[in-house]
Amino acid sequence: MKRRNRRNSRLLRGIAQKSELRMTSMMDILTVLLLFLLKSFVVGGEAINPPPGIELPNSSAESQPEISLIIAIDDESIFLGGERVATIRETVESDDLIIEGLDAKLQSVIEQRDDLASRRGQTEFEDEIVTIQGDRRIEFRVLRKVMYTLNYNGFDNIALAVIKTS
Amino acid sequence: MAERRRRKRWGETVSADLNVMPLMNLFVVLIPLLLLSAVFVEVSVIEMNQSSSDEHFEPPKDEPLALAIRIHDGSYVVEGNGIQSRTIIRTAALVDSGEPDEKAWKELSRALADIVSAYPGNENVQIVAEETTHYEEIITVMDISRDAGLPQAALVAKRMGAI
Repeated sequence: MKRRNRRNSRLLRGIAQKSELRMTSMMDILTVLLLFLLKSFVVGGEAINPPPGIELPNSSAESQPEISLIIAIDDESIFLGGERVATIRETVESDDLIIEGLDAKLQSVIEQRDDLASRRGQTEFEDEIVTIQGDRRIEFRVLRKVMYTLNYNGFDNIALAVIKTS
Repeated sequence: MAERRRRKRWGETVSADLNVMPLMNLFVVLIPLLLLSAVFVEVSVIEMNQSSSDEHFEPPKDEPLALAIRIHDGSYVVEGNGIQSRTIIRTAALVDSGEPDEKAWKELSRALADIVSAYPGNENVQIVAEETTHYEEIITVMDISRDAGLPQAALVAKRMGAI
């Protein structure tokens, strides 16, 4: 009993002195996760990350998305660069082919681009690509007006984002 | 007596540290296995080489065939200059439910393949959709056209009720 108590008290002292948290396994896990994430995110830009609430249609298309201006269309709204520019209801109810909110925002994008180009001394620049991330259930009349508004503002290079199926 | 009380206070002790090493080792094995079996969603794009949402869109002048696929609620219509118009009936129940209509797609694919073999130089097709046609239906028709050998698709609108 006496010997055990002496041993226990020695043990207590030992435990009190060595209370480190070992992070080796945690680092192994994080390294493996990091490698997988790097492998999956091989394309830059927002094209690979559709916003929540948008279910892209499936397609056998294989073209890789590029960094571009993003227009997202869900059940209720139209977004340009993450900012809401119009609602679906207004777009459908309007007889005009041009979507006002989208048109205004595109004009400001063009102004910024021209301003940047003039600062750099550029007189010509390549046509900017616009990627449309549309929910699979949207109607063609909405898509049509979005594309018309883009064409009206000089954006002729349009790409439709889809989920690649094998 | 006092010595006995001290012995009782100094009873067996249990280490208070939580040993997480086995749990971490389990994660090191489990997480790579789960990641290997996971399916990552890959996003691709369909590039619109020529697109117009205006119903007054005119095909290029040097395009003799002017092949068009009209998407209606109940059918696909394939037509062009100098070819016989072909109507492919779609199953109404499948259209309403949004489920794949494999039979109609196969028939459409065969029809387009026949046209491509008859006109090998042509890669253009116009897809004429109604205003209430769903986006995914248009994408499906574009896929079928691309697989049949018509990669250059243009979208054209048709107003409801128009002939």
